[in-house]
Amino acid sequence: MTIDTTPMPPERLLELDDVHVHFSMREGLVKAVNGVSYHVDRGEVLGIVGESGSGKSVTARAIMRLLAKNAIQASGHIRFRPEQGKEVEISSLPRDGRKMRELRGGHIGMIFQEPMTALSPVHSIGTQIMRTVMLHKRVGKEAARARAIELLEKVQLPKPSEMVDRYPHQLSGGMRQRAMIALALSCDPALLIADEPTTALDVTTEAQILELLKSLQEEMGMAIVFITHNFGVVADIADRVAVMYLGRIVETGSVDDIFYQPKHPYTRALLQSIPRLGQAPVHRLKTIPGMVPDPFNAPRGCSFHPRCAYSVAGRCDVYAPDVKRFPDDQSARCHLAGELPEEVVL
Amino acid sequence: MSRTETMPSMPEDALISVSGLKKYFPVTRGWLQRQVGEVKAVDDVSFNIRRGETFGLVGESGSGKSTVARLILRAYMLTGGSIKFRRGDGSVVDLSDLSDREMRPVRREMQMVFQDPYSSLDPRMTLLDIVGEPLVIHGVGSKGEIRDRVGELLGLVGLRPEYAVRYPHAFSGGQRQRIGIARALALNPSFIAADEAVSALDVSVAAQNINLLQDLQEKFGLTYLFITHDLGMVEHISDRIGVMYVGRLVELGDTAEIFEKPLHPYTEALLSAVPQPDPRRRESGRRIVLKGEIADPANPPTGCTFHPRCPYATDLCKKEVPELRPVRGRQVRCHYAEELDLAGVGA
Repeated sequence: MTIDTTPMPPERLLELDDVHVHFSMREGLVKAVNGVSYHVDRGEVLGIVGESGSGKSVTARAIMRLLAKNAIQASGHIRFRPEQGKEVEISSLPRDGRKMRELRGGHIGMIFQEPMTALSPVHSIGTQIMRTVMLHKRVGKEAARARAIELLEKVQLPKPSEMVDRYPHQLSGGMRQRAMIALALSCDPALLIADEPTTALDVTTEAQILELLKSLQEEMGMAIVFITHNFGVVADIADRVAVMYLGRIVETGSVDDIFYQPKHPYTRALLQSIPRLGQAPVHRLKTIPGMVPDPFNAPRGCSFHPRCAYSVAGRCDVYAPDVKRFPDDQSARCHLAGELPEEVVL
Repeated sequence: MSRTETMPSMPEDALISVSGLKKYFPVTRGWLQRQVGEVKAVDDVSFNIRRGETFGLVGESGSGKSTVARLILRAYMLTGGSIKFRRGDGSVVDLSDLSDREMRPVRREMQMVFQDPYSSLDPRMTLLDIVGEPLVIHGVGSKGEIRDRVGELLGLVGLRPEYAVRYPHAFSGGQRQRIGIARALALNPSFIAADEAVSALDVSVAAQNINLLQDLQEKFGLTYLFITHDLGMVEHISDRIGVMYVGRLVELGDTAEIFEKPLHPYTEALLSAVPQPDPRRRESGRRIVLKGEIADPANPPTGCTFHPRCPYATDLCKKEVPELRPVRGRQVRCHYAEELDLAGVGA
């Protein structure tokens, strides 16, 4: 695999270029990620939204090189710049090699939806953080423990000096999520990948965790890739948004453009199907007809055309659309983007 | 039924009237299972569900909302209180003192739709067996009639009647939820309790199923108890709501009124915590982030159970348990319901 010779712009932290991830299964080949390109700048929050099966988590795992054994990373480049000047092509590193292990946990942290399964049940919170710190920072036990306590305080857990010796089962869901954030941030990563971190939480706890992530992001200046299916959460935390459908990014743009001037029919339809608080009562919710097609036989042409209200026969069902670009870095993968009838979205 | 005569009257328009509902679960310790305490999962909950309306119960996990639904359907025995249900023939029965045998015919009129469409359908049964099972259990119809009815029910929820021979694994989450709805409709119930019925689904699919539930309600005059933690959904579907916190109702009333101007600080905090699909709201910064976590029902705080997290709490709140009392046409459990000026949602 040849490394792209054009260097990334200075503000760029992570760049994905035409990434494909396929899974070979008994039933056939699943193209879970089918040509995804996005980038993350230093210190920004990129929200990735999509329904289940859109490939948003698989893409994130490809960045961490944590894909299952039957995954085939077919093609594409993932580049990451841990420090100024040094560019690493993650996609060409061996997944269990020294460099990748240094990046994983050291420069890129990750938090998951279900902290109970992501944390070890047989080690205390402190031990888990200390191991990461000792591995990446080469410090002694005492220093690592002090760092663990400092981190637990940072994520606003009560009584951090006691909490450090607790086990995950002794904590509530919200506290576990805080502990996992502390673990992911233990080595001051430049990038945090958050995969549905608030989905399993109650709204009041979700609000707490979102506020915490926002304040930590401000304080530590890391970039966040925030994966979620909840448009409300994205509106709250993201600077830019990428919308995924069936293994592709169908639209990207600033958070305001995505919410107030969506260019792709899928983004529009999704936004219209959410009941909003305080909205004048509507009789029926708008829906998207049909369901996400199964990935073994994705539709020809634009993969959204069977469910799209604007689909043009002979065009959308035959030719896969290219990416159309708009001002302010907004882009949409749709033949009709920019030509759709004006609609009041809000 | 002489029993029905002696009971205190229930409002004419009510289908279900719950009063003083209690469910305490024992906390046991040791191999002798000695009881060392109790969890008041539901404590003195009263409300009416009017015929043909959708009543929403909201609250966080551990608030007791699912337990209320299970008590109404008599999946649990209640510790105290009464549940009156108006049957199809107009008679009123108190479900709390029916035997299992007496309960059986009443069960035909009340059904449930569950949250998890994966674990609530037996993977080894075909749709014919799953949707037809209530008919078999209640001895309704011959084999051929059951087959026809199942086909009809599948059609009602937007699935093809030919699917009756298939197994649940062949269907997506949203479709499975529809299968559960078809099963609930099999015996022509008047009441359906939906416990987080769309919470596990993707947005576009959840919207489809919500619309389906509303269509069915119109078509058959169904009454719903809709339990969810999704406040956007509950605002959309419910006529009236009850807000629960640690086993108790803290606010009860008309949905639109509560959302516009909550009278209980917990309702206010819940509403402000919901992430809104509207990035411009970020600047307004009106979100109230509650301190701490929901109280442990086995060891609840003194006074008002919400006081440790309440931004408006005073000494009175620490000492005295507020009663659920009528305030401006609603029921509110807060000492300061009249004085506080709380923010709702909307413009």
